[in-house]
Amino acid sequence: MTSWLRRQRALAEYTLAALARRRIKNTGLLLIYAMVIFVVASATLFATALRKEAEVVLAEAPEVIIQNLVMGRHDLIPGDVIAEIDGIRGVASIKGRLWGYFYDRLNGANYTLMVPLDPAMAPPAGQAIIGESLPRVREMPWETAPLFLSRTPGDLVRFDIAKRLSSDSALVSTDLILLNEANFRAFFELPEDVYTDIALSIRNPREIDTIVEKIGRLLPNARLVTRDEIARTYQKLFSWREGIMVLLAGASVLAFVIFAAEKASGLSAEETREIGILKAIGWDTGDVIAMKLWEGGLVSFGAFLLGTVLAYLHVFAFDAGLFASVLKGWSVIYPDFALTPGIDGLQLTALFFLTVLPYMAATIVPIWRAATADPDQVMR
Amino acid sequence: MISVQSVCKTYNEGRPSALTALDGIDLEIARNALTVFKGPSGSGKTTLLSIISCMARPTSGRVLIDGRMVSGLPERFLTLERRRTFGFVFQRFNLIRGLSVLENVLLPATPLGGERRADAKRALARLEMLGIAGKAGERVEFLSGGEAQRAAIARALINDPPVLIADEPTANLDTELAHRFLDIVSGLRAEGRTVIMTSHDPRIWAADQVDRVVSMRDGRLEENEA
Amino acid sequence: MILQTPILALLLASALASAVALWAAWFGIRLLQHWDLASGSQRQLDLERRTELVSTLFGFVMLIEIAALFLLVFNADRMAALFVGAMCAVGTFNVNGWGFPALYLKITLFFAAALWLILDRVDRLGRDFPLTRLKFATILGIAPLVLAGFATELAFFLNMKTDVITSCCSKLFTPSNEGFAAEMTGLARAHALWLLGAAGGAVLVSGAAIVLRKRGERLFALAGAAFFFAALTAIVSVISLYVYDHPNHHCPFCLLKREYGYFGYALYVPLFAGTALALATGLLKTVANSDSLAGVQPKAIRHLTRLSLAGFALFGIAVLWSIATSQLILFG
Ligand SMILES: Nc1ncnc2c1ncn2[C@@H]1O[C@H](COP(=O)(O)OP(=O)(O)O)[C@@H](O)[C@H]1O
Ligand SMILES: [Mg+2]
Repeated sequence: MTSWLRRQRALAEYTLAALARRRIKNTGLLLIYAMVIFVVASATLFATALRKEAEVVLAEAPEVIIQNLVMGRHDLIPGDVIAEIDGIRGVASIKGRLWGYFYDRLNGANYTLMVPLDPAMAPPAGQAIIGESLPRVREMPWETAPLFLSRTPGDLVRFDIAKRLSSDSALVSTDLILLNEANFRAFFELPEDVYTDIALSIRNPREIDTIVEKIGRLLPNARLVTRDEIARTYQKLFSWREGIMVLLAGASVLAFVIFAAEKASGLSAEETREIGILKAIGWDTGDVIAMKLWEGGLVSFGAFLLGTVLAYLHVFAFDAGLFASVLKGWSVIYPDFALTPGIDGLQLTALFFLTVLPYMAATIVPIWRAATADPDQVMR
Repeated sequence: MISVQSVCKTYNEGRPSALTALDGIDLEIARNALTVFKGPSGSGKTTLLSIISCMARPTSGRVLIDGRMVSGLPERFLTLERRRTFGFVFQRFNLIRGLSVLENVLLPATPLGGERRADAKRALARLEMLGIAGKAGERVEFLSGGEAQRAAIARALINDPPVLIADEPTANLDTELAHRFLDIVSGLRAEGRTVIMTSHDPRIWAADQVDRVVSMRDGRLEENEA
Repeated sequence: MILQTPILALLLASALASAVALWAAWFGIRLLQHWDLASGSQRQLDLERRTELVSTLFGFVMLIEIAALFLLVFNADRMAALFVGAMCAVGTFNVNGWGFPALYLKITLFFAAALWLILDRVDRLGRDFPLTRLKFATILGIAPLVLAGFATELAFFLNMKTDVITSCCSKLFTPSNEGFAAEMTGLARAHALWLLGAAGGAVLVSGAAIVLRKRGERLFALAGAAFFFAALTAIVSVISLYVYDHPNHHCPFCLLKREYGYFGYALYVPLFAGTALALATGLLKTVANSDSLAGVQPKAIRHLTRLSLAGFALFGIAVLWSIATSQLILFG
């Protein structure tokens, strides 16, 4: 065993010494390889982080949401429904929610206006709590500058800023404006006792299905959305976008593979001669292949490390500046939040499969060709 | 110690360009002797040397080393046999450029998994003995012809093989260096090694250090001189 | 659905593996036709050199298949969040009719790959290519498995629909059901543990016979296989209960989840490795009998036996640990 280890170490040392001689060429190869990995890794890390973010947000969402449907479209729901449902066993709490969208004609952004479910969280009358991207898109000059919203030309409603939401409340809260119930109803001119939808929390997750069924019978016109459904939608959305990115990056992997195969098969005359010498002085075909695999392994590993670390920095320190808009944006506002750094073993393994396997596959046959050279050819 | 029995070697067998380089060679090579193959260019000296030293397989015939059949072995085991038994010095030295003298000398030991430090110590001792220990850290491109050959000899001996194989070792050397080479070789013989080399250089055939000259022509042996 | 990084990785690995397997099989046919060790001809020389390449490549493929089994299971577990009703990998594999066939093929491939890699290792130790013909004949058998694995995997991933309601593990592993899984679940807990203990004893005795007396290799292989099935049964019937601290949660896949500290890997990795190595001893005893392996075979067999016993021992330790640290008291 120790002899095996020593052999591997000696081969690795030789490989490093040999690589160091063609420094420029090998550094170039390493950089191109690392760049390909960087693109794939960025997409993967970013999408994984987004998925996590959505999970965190959803963890606090209600288990079931009841929406009223009119002509197949979401409509306001009367408050007396709450009393009807309250009797169902297993429902821990039931609350009417008020939220809506507001199109800002000043800059074309969409905001989400909302009344917090917990009355203690609501701002005092005439004040608002705002998401963290609002001050930026509205170019608010100072910390406590009031927010003016204009519903129709000439109309202007003023809210003082009670608080800004902190950055870690993530993706979904970034374009948020929280009001108290009276202000909200006044702003949208809503009658009393209607709600946007109704949120249920349910104690035992195994009972969700039965409860949903019961409510479905009580309110045949309502649409019932469970948290799991939303979670799945998010997951699919992000995974799908990630897949597209990876596929695009796959094209670059392919290009790189062709390049690598070309490089490996067109071993320079110098390298071919060296392999011939090694074989002549007593190296076995297997030794040469092992040495070349070390070379491929060192290059792959170096590129993988470099590419992944750069991608990590790109995603978590620089907010994925290069393609955040592809993966995130569903609104004009791009959230300006730092993703929680995290690495996922599954994604890393998959990444390794996707980038290193093709390289290995592309180089192994040319390596074998060179390694099976006749040892006596250097005598000629 | 090495026995060659009716060995034939045909290159490009079955093709129009087929060429019989060796044609029925029978030869016994004695232990601890200095044997030289002589003959005109193209007579098959290098081919015979490569078959004796397990570099190539004969098309037919047998090669035995210390009574062990080696001619039918798969390549992997042929290599094992070869690196256990032979060290090589080539006509063009065949050092690997860009590496230091010491790194070059260590190359045959690299895949063996021996103790690295002991290997290096042996290499340095050998370089010392050959008088080029001072150049151990230097890149091989910067060596003179004589130094390069001595580096190549040190490399051939790093695994302590009983047999040294040299193909046209003096072709690129002047008379003085050719004699120095013969001195080194007879020193090796004094260490108990067997030396087999090819040469078309009359200075070598005539030297007293040579035990036996085997003369070749057109792939056959001509005569043996004692 | 197919556009997910781990799925793309798995499919890529399988596609590459299939390409190599096809090529290796084609070469295997040629080798079986023309292989003639006695000849020094160029064709024989080329064949010998090519076996080196094909063996190396196929060896890689086998390693990849082994890694892919874990990736497949890990990914299935992760994807469970996407399916209605799925709580763990079982739900994902149940999403359509291809999931479990794909998994079973991968498991079969795992064992085939392990055995083939060991054959290859031993073959390289003999001076006259003692197992080369056999090795390539086996490739002819393994290649269709690789292709079938790729096909089922592809069908599995292509036919994944998130709106399908799958059944979760609690529906599959419940004693009141019909079928194999239910039968394993329903086996009395004490019986399952006794069975496992008996198989463990057989493994120990036959393993010791190899190490000390140099005999009983095939028995050891049989005992290893028996232990494998006994262990799976015991996991489903009792061990899982201890891990989950729950008297009715029998799933052998939830064990792989983070909630349970990935404990399943501590069980399955040594179990699978130990079983594969045990099978290999029987295989070597049966096929590696040529003169050139006379010095190699007994040593290799003993080495494999020791490793295999170590694997089973690790599995045993994991089982005992799970029982010792569990809050659940099933007996007593
Ligand atoms: N690889 C080869 N392919 C074809 N012909 C070869 C090859 N190697 C050597 N020969 C031929 O074999 C003959 C003997 O060559 P060689 O052994 O090198 O002779 P020497 O070393 O005496 O000059 C020559 O005619 C040479 O052209
Ligand atoms: Mg010559």
